[in-house]
Amino acid sequence: MTIDRNTVSNRLQEVFKRVFDDPDMRISDDMTAADHSEWDSLMHIGLMASVETEFSISFSAGEIAHLGSVGELIDLIEERSNASGA
Amino acid sequence: MQPSLAMSDTKSPSSVLDELKNSAGFFDPYPEQIINARKFEKILNELDCLIPIKVSVVGNTTTDQICSLLRFWLGLNGFCADIRQGPFGTLEQSVFDPKSDIYSNDPDIVWIFTSHRDFLYEAVECDSEAEYNDRVESVIERFETLWANVHQNCAAQIIQNNVDLPFERVMGNFDGSSRFGRLTFLRDLNAELSRRTTSGISILDLDHISNIFGKANWCEERYWHHAKISFSLDAHGYVAHAVARLIAAVKGRSRKCLVLDLDNTLWGGVIGDDGLDGIELGDGPAGEAFVSFQKYLKALSKRGVVLAVCSKNELENAEEVFLKHPAMVLRKDDIAVFVANWQNKADNIRVIAERLNLGLDALVFVDDNPAERDLVRQELPMVAVPELPENPELYLRTLDQCKYFEIANFSREDQLRTDMYRNNAQREEERLVHTDLDNFLSGLNMSGSIGQITDKNLSRVSQLINKSNQFHLTTTRYPEAKINSMLESDEFICRSVRLKDKFGDNGLISVFILRRENESEMKIDTWVMSCRVLSRGVEDFICNEMISLTKSSGCKKLVGKYFATPKNKLVESLYDRLGFDLVSKSGQDSTWSIDPEQSNDQRENHIKKVSETEYDQF
Repeated sequence: MTIDRNTVSNRLQEVFKRVFDDPDMRISDDMTAADHSEWDSLMHIGLMASVETEFSISFSAGEIAHLGSVGELIDLIEERSNASGA
Repeated sequence: MQPSLAMSDTKSPSSVLDELKNSAGFFDPYPEQIINARKFEKILNELDCLIPIKVSVVGNTTTDQICSLLRFWLGLNGFCADIRQGPFGTLEQSVFDPKSDIYSNDPDIVWIFTSHRDFLYEAVECDSEAEYNDRVESVIERFETLWANVHQNCAAQIIQNNVDLPFERVMGNFDGSSRFGRLTFLRDLNAELSRRTTSGISILDLDHISNIFGKANWCEERYWHHAKISFSLDAHGYVAHAVARLIAAVKGRSRKCLVLDLDNTLWGGVIGDDGLDGIELGDGPAGEAFVSFQKYLKALSKRGVVLAVCSKNELENAEEVFLKHPAMVLRKDDIAVFVANWQNKADNIRVIAERLNLGLDALVFVDDNPAERDLVRQELPMVAVPELPENPELYLRTLDQCKYFEIANFSREDQLRTDMYRNNAQREEERLVHTDLDNFLSGLNMSGSIGQITDKNLSRVSQLINKSNQFHLTTTRYPEAKINSMLESDEFICRSVRLKDKFGDNGLISVFILRRENESEMKIDTWVMSCRVLSRGVEDFICNEMISLTKSSGCKKLVGKYFATPKNKLVESLYDRLGFDLVSKSGQDSTWSIDPEQSNDQRENHIKKVSETEYDQF
């Protein structure tokens, strides 16, 4: 079963809300860690672990370290989910 | 306003904390841990029931994740933690520099956070036993140097991780099977670390923690490579739980008493319905599970956990099992207070706590019935109530992993504790029967001896000084080394007090340290007493001794200080009651003084003073 980008984006937004404890949080493709004051390295690791749990996928050290924008994260989740589900 | 916010606004901070205590699990994965930790951080400033504690964490790997969860797990253990971290990768530098930030808040605890990551893949090729021992010794010396520096720079208790044995083995089975393999080396190191610790150092058995968590999942290489996080994110909650319990033990806040249900908890079935022959206990898989649980409980009791029974039963039926069932491991003597009736269990647990003179926060309640657990959680949130699994064979491990009864050190008094508490409960019953207190006290046939502090009782003395909260006038905390130096100095008079009565030996129950300030003034530097012997005139008995010591040293004044804390209100007016005059009072401090010549040194009490030899004889 494949998962579409829109579904990924919606579920990811819920993860962000939970992790940042901000019910009003809105994510966008061009958003990066620099846009959010709380998104530091400690938070980043918590975020990535939560994303992994939500989508039942796993990232490599390189992917965790070099993640650019939220858009790239959505692409990565989509690719990984569809690959593992296939 | 968001409806969810309005909902959370209606909950009081302490009820949020109680909910977290019941819902947070130490094996919860990291994402859940951080969400719970976040909920806790939100209410932290509004909670006034937490005890402040200062913890500094130093290591060569990343400690941010563990520190944020440690604050949370310390919170669930009743502490509000101020946590400092040494900068990343600066273990030695932080410890050696007296001006380091880790000392700036005068920490209660310094956690030396090392792991197998601190040990390289050194092939331990040695030509001789002696060379190998030198290798072990050189690592131990590195730790001893760290410990000595910490103790020189602050008064903290040290928590030292031992080595979590690594997953990978360069030489395969040979790593642990050969005399000089890497695993053998790390195992020897762990054993030697345990041997070298003194009372100022507690080892956190990180290796055991990693075994329980599961070695295969213990290390998460990607987070090691990405951020130098020593072990798996999902293991962080369990580690934080374990260290929080150890810290609680160091601060004397471990649980002390286990309150047990009977039917379907200590045996299968209901004694009132099934009868002595019908309950499951002993032969057969179901019965054996209860026997092994009882053996575990018996072992807990032998090492100082007080057992009590709280059961909905006819007393006679319940007692009959303990007296007559051949497979019972626990006997009547193992139970300090035995309550079996049809009343509400919360009320019965209150009675048990009173009988034992323990706070509710010292109790753990184990019951197979979810409704009873729920009732006790709601009525008595201070009591720890583990969620028991359905299968009785899992009771033992469930209770064990909760780590309620951690200890930081062990003394003879710990082994005798059940006896003492059972005797105490009998005394308490007797007191309820006696309307006249004087009559009751004289009927106890108490005798007390006042003696020196020696190597033999030093660990108990240190335990009293460092763990007593309620009867502790100045809340001074001294590491054993400091006590030793006071023993050697002429400036100090250090004494320990033991008490016996017709019910048994209470052991070493009080310590006082007098300091000769100058030729005319003697000061009570430290005075602690076990709460087991409150309201028995021991304070009067000891005060008489202090006065006579002051007189014989030629001093004209005996000065006592009271430093008020949230936990020692009990002794707020002790000096007043003993006839001291208030000299000054500012903030938490008050100073009291008495002239030994003017004072009666025979404050009336019912304790017969005996010498140490006499005490040991009868």
